[in-house]
Amino acid sequence: MPQMLEGSQALARAVALCRPQVVAAYPITPQTHIVENISKLVADGKLHCELISVESEFSAASVVLGAAAAGSRAYTASSSQGILLMSEVLYSIAGLRIPLVLTCANRAVGAPLSIWNDQQDSMAVRDAGWIQIYCADNQEAVDATIQAYRIAERTELPVMICVDGFVLTHTLEQIEMPSQEQVDGFLPDFQFSRALNPANPISIGTLVSPDYFSEVRHSHHQALLNAQVEIQSADADWAAVSGRSGGGLLSVEGDPAAKVGILSLGSVIGTLRDALGEYPDAGPAKLIKLRTFRPFPEEALREACAGLTDLVVLERALSPGSGGIIGTEVRAAFAGRSDMPRVHNFAVGLGGRDIPLDIYPRLMAAVKSPSGASFAIFDANLDRLPEADR
Amino acid sequence: MSETTIPLSELRRKQPRFSGLESGHRACLGCGQALAARLVTESAGPDVMLANATGCLEVFTTPWPESAWRLPWLHSLFENAGAIASGMEAALKAQGKATKVIAMGGDGSTFDIGFQALSGMLERNHNVLYVCYDNEAYMNTGIQRSSSTPHAASTTTSPVGKERMGKRHLKKDIIQIIAAHNIAYAATASVAYPSDIRKKVRRALAIEGATFLQIHAPCPLGWGHDGAVSIEVARLAVQSGLFPLIELERGELTGAMPLRTPKPVSAYLKMQQRFGHLFKNDPRALEELEHLQAIADHNIEIYHLRGDGEDALDSEGADTVRRGGIRWA
Amino acid sequence: MAILTRGAYAYPSTSLQYHTGTWRVQKPIHEHRAAPCHNACPAGEDAQAYLAKIAEGRFQEAWETIVRINPLPAVTGRVCHHPCEKSCNRGEYDEPLAIHSAERFLGDEAIKNNWAYPVSPPAPNAPHVAVIGAGPAGLSAAYHLIQRGHNVTLFDELPEAGGVLRTAIPQYRLPREVLNAEVKRLLAVGMKFEPQKRLGRDFYIEDLQRDYAAVFLGIGNRHGREWSIDGVIPRGLRNGLELLEEWVALGEVPTPQSVAIVGGGNTAVDIARVLKRAGTREVHVITHHALPGVDVPPELMMTAIPREISQAQDEGVIVHEFRGIRRLILRGEKVVGLELVHMKKVPQANGKFETKAFEGTETVLHVEQVIPAIGQEVLPFGVEMLLGNQPFFKVDHWGNLEKHPGIFVGGDARGGHGTLSGAIGDGRRAAEAIDAYILGGNLIHHEAAQAVPYSQINLNYFEHSTRHNSPILPVEARRSCEEVEGGLSQHEVFAESQRCFSCGNCFACDNCWTLCPDSAVLKTTETAFDGTHYIFDYDYCKGCGLCAHECPCSFIAMKDEL
Repeated sequence: MPQMLEGSQALARAVALCRPQVVAAYPITPQTHIVENISKLVADGKLHCELISVESEFSAASVVLGAAAAGSRAYTASSSQGILLMSEVLYSIAGLRIPLVLTCANRAVGAPLSIWNDQQDSMAVRDAGWIQIYCADNQEAVDATIQAYRIAERTELPVMICVDGFVLTHTLEQIEMPSQEQVDGFLPDFQFSRALNPANPISIGTLVSPDYFSEVRHSHHQALLNAQVEIQSADADWAAVSGRSGGGLLSVEGDPAAKVGILSLGSVIGTLRDALGEYPDAGPAKLIKLRTFRPFPEEALREACAGLTDLVVLERALSPGSGGIIGTEVRAAFAGRSDMPRVHNFAVGLGGRDIPLDIYPRLMAAVKSPSGASFAIFDANLDRLPEADR
Repeated sequence: MSETTIPLSELRRKQPRFSGLESGHRACLGCGQALAARLVTESAGPDVMLANATGCLEVFTTPWPESAWRLPWLHSLFENAGAIASGMEAALKAQGKATKVIAMGGDGSTFDIGFQALSGMLERNHNVLYVCYDNEAYMNTGIQRSSSTPHAASTTTSPVGKERMGKRHLKKDIIQIIAAHNIAYAATASVAYPSDIRKKVRRALAIEGATFLQIHAPCPLGWGHDGAVSIEVARLAVQSGLFPLIELERGELTGAMPLRTPKPVSAYLKMQQRFGHLFKNDPRALEELEHLQAIADHNIEIYHLRGDGEDALDSEGADTVRRGGIRWA
Repeated sequence: MAILTRGAYAYPSTSLQYHTGTWRVQKPIHEHRAAPCHNACPAGEDAQAYLAKIAEGRFQEAWETIVRINPLPAVTGRVCHHPCEKSCNRGEYDEPLAIHSAERFLGDEAIKNNWAYPVSPPAPNAPHVAVIGAGPAGLSAAYHLIQRGHNVTLFDELPEAGGVLRTAIPQYRLPREVLNAEVKRLLAVGMKFEPQKRLGRDFYIEDLQRDYAAVFLGIGNRHGREWSIDGVIPRGLRNGLELLEEWVALGEVPTPQSVAIVGGGNTAVDIARVLKRAGTREVHVITHHALPGVDVPPELMMTAIPREISQAQDEGVIVHEFRGIRRLILRGEKVVGLELVHMKKVPQANGKFETKAFEGTETVLHVEQVIPAIGQEVLPFGVEMLLGNQPFFKVDHWGNLEKHPGIFVGGDARGGHGTLSGAIGDGRRAAEAIDAYILGGNLIHHEAAQAVPYSQINLNYFEHSTRHNSPILPVEARRSCEEVEGGLSQHEVFAESQRCFSCGNCFACDNCWTLCPDSAVLKTTETAFDGTHYIFDYDYCKGCGLCAHECPCSFIAMKDEL
């Protein structure tokens, strides 16, 4: 039975269904409702875990690192400044190959200060070595969170579930919450082969010399690449349990014959889905929903883009001084190949700016008359800037 | 020539003490921190889990593929030992296990960069013993000053020169700050008094809740003395009153090692090159010496360190040697 | 080649693969060094060794440690001047160990429990050695010869063994029961005792040289030195030793109202105390030496044992230091007084000391009798050819008599400031020399190991403690033969042994084992080859020197390894 739930509330319940033994909570807008809901579940006896109200995000990530290393399933969530603050720990967790799940309620990163949604935060830590999965809506977020534990514990890689702050976390949606039995059937007890234990007292976190470092990095990189298999199988297996699929690594919608594709990730997919229906004459267009950003699904992407002449890459972050992040990686996926479409890379909706439905026809128009720039912030109003800063 | 009929590797395993830290680690000769860590893990026994901050101890014990630890051990970052330990403790609690967690860090990690995580851990009263190995500077990175570096000590970032006489600021009174968290037990100890360390570690581990131990550990390289005199230097620090050995429970002073005849601070300082500038013919040097003596006198006063009799030996934790080690062989 | 683990974790204790011992430039070694008490003992006893055994509660073993060197501990524990205590490092810290009390206790315990001397009777076909004189030197020589497996026949002109122990030491210093018991047990270890046989009357040196593989002479110095003042000898002059022997033998002695004893040695002090007990009202001791004191140079001091001197003074004996007799004041041939003058040994340009009298300091002391106790010489009866015209036999360190191979001398007969413990040591050394002489082996002179000085004791590990002092009989109770100094109880002796610094010898304090940052000191229940229970694991020892620096008794030394 679907229920009308706020995104954060649904996520909190999804986490509870996974039976974490340790949850670390540090508040930051717009993740606060997640940890508040979890706290209420604990207070009401609906979630039995050690809930630790830490004194910073750095400690939040460290607490769950310690907890997982000591053999307990753990969870935390953060956004923006908090993600950046804990970035050192994120690298540590991934490098140590500790299975964890973290929700990133995507929010712009200061300066300038903004509490509203974009994806600069999770993009900023894309090189930390985590699996990153982006959710188009709250149902996906619930399902992805559950799948994340299985993926994390099988690959021994930490998983970041990205949900757009406010846009998803603070909106009500009809959610089909899975049952405890479904989740219990899908997720076994926490498994971690290297859990610390006086009976097997290994040392985790050693100093690695130049003689061995490259190999460690190689194995981590390879593990992430190989995780694509696990991500897809988790999605497929969960679909068998719940009847819902998130799309695996990525999914393709819209007109299969279209020569123009729009690739994006996160909640804007919902906007684009509606826009495709609202503006049928602007198309035809294919909609490529990128679900997994790390590992970057090169092969699946190329397959999805087969036959496209143009690909709009729409993202909600950028690399200042370079340009788009996803756009650059998309281009790289096609480098030196003859099947590369023309890539039109735009950032949009930065700092929570609303993305209206008419973005779609405007994008399609931009495809027809490209400016020639490799990247632009699509909805930036340059008149607001002094001449010299445009 | 074989000195015994039992091969040493086997004899090593039959020692009448728990060995949590093995030989083969890369600590410098006479390292106070290595000795302290050995004593701490010895007293703690095998049913513990260690969270170690970045620093000398972590680096010299775990050059992959080797590890000198015989206990489950995790090192993550410089500033999160307190938080890692909190997570471990929460996990073990959730699993219903009695294994105790010990967090370990140097003074840089404890007093400075990791202070927040430590404070949070104490405030939440996690069942963790936090051990700070205080060698009074960032030693692993090359002897830079930390907030634990004593006043007037020379380090690479507080060097002595025309304008400066070493570190300008006082040594942070960490034990009082820790005690202000109102935890059940906070104490200072020194490698010169190994029985005292053992006693305090066991006392702390027997307590449910957050506990803290600051162990004064000389660094021969950083302090500028021969490794052979590390214990002597540490002992003089205690006997001068500059590093009082005290116990604070819920913020109240409940124990102190008496100094029946405090030694002048100069006896302690002149053994170390980091204070060498205080013994040159310089009026600033004299002033700094007086200042340090005043700090020692102040400690003696506020912690009521004056005992009576001769010599600085606490009878309960005394390291006055007794015959009979053979009986435990 | 190491295979990467996931996340680069490491297995426990794998650091043992890395031998940090390769870092060393110096290595710790155990160095058995001599405790100063050992080096100071003229007999060669290792006080530290037997105190260590006492500290472990092994009293019989402690006694055996003593009697491997000195077979008369109940005697020496009472009578010896115990230079061991003067040299004890603890003396600079608080008070020296009461070593003599420990020795006395062990000697008394052995007698009480009849502990067996650790010697076996010699084989009947083993070489025979003759020992002349059953005083301390002879008894020691006989005992050590038996320990070395030789047959011994011990001769003495008196009916009982003991020598000066029996004839000249008053019972208030050495009770007769103790002497009898110890000598009886000693004689029973397997020697043949021939009492009332006098050399030069009942048998001769040539007989001995013919019938025995070697000869040891421990015949003492029974001949009092001639004494006179400007050629004047009072009528009926008796010397101190003679009178002392008379009192010891008969229990009485002629008792003048006042007497002056000339001399500063044990005989002078003993006869002084005897005369006091016998009833002499005024007893004076005249000596050009000094009373013992902290600042007194040894060459100026009276040779009597300091505690005996102070006990004598407690008993009322008046000691006149730095005095000599300038003139006897006679009425007829009887002494009525002495002219005393200040006299002192003064260093000369050639470094030697000469006794000088200082004009203008003369005083008169009214006494009825003067008793010289100025030293003894060897009585040349039966040994004229060996002695020549010398007061003492000329011997080397081992006791070999110059120009007479096969004849050995020890004890008072070889001169020097003869001490009891010196005599016992002489007997032991001579036995070693005799053994080498008979078997044709080499005599190896063992250099005394360097004693550990006070500065090398790590005082941080010792608390101050007071010495257990023996009970001393109050003066009023010292009427005749009552033993003046008592002994300590077993508990007290044990407690005293805990005070020993154990200089240069491991007492298993565990410091090295506790303080090594590299766990490179291992403990073992079996004894390592150097006698300790600690082994350095040189695979890992970095040579930092912490163990050596913190060893309380300076047992660990750092040796360069470059």
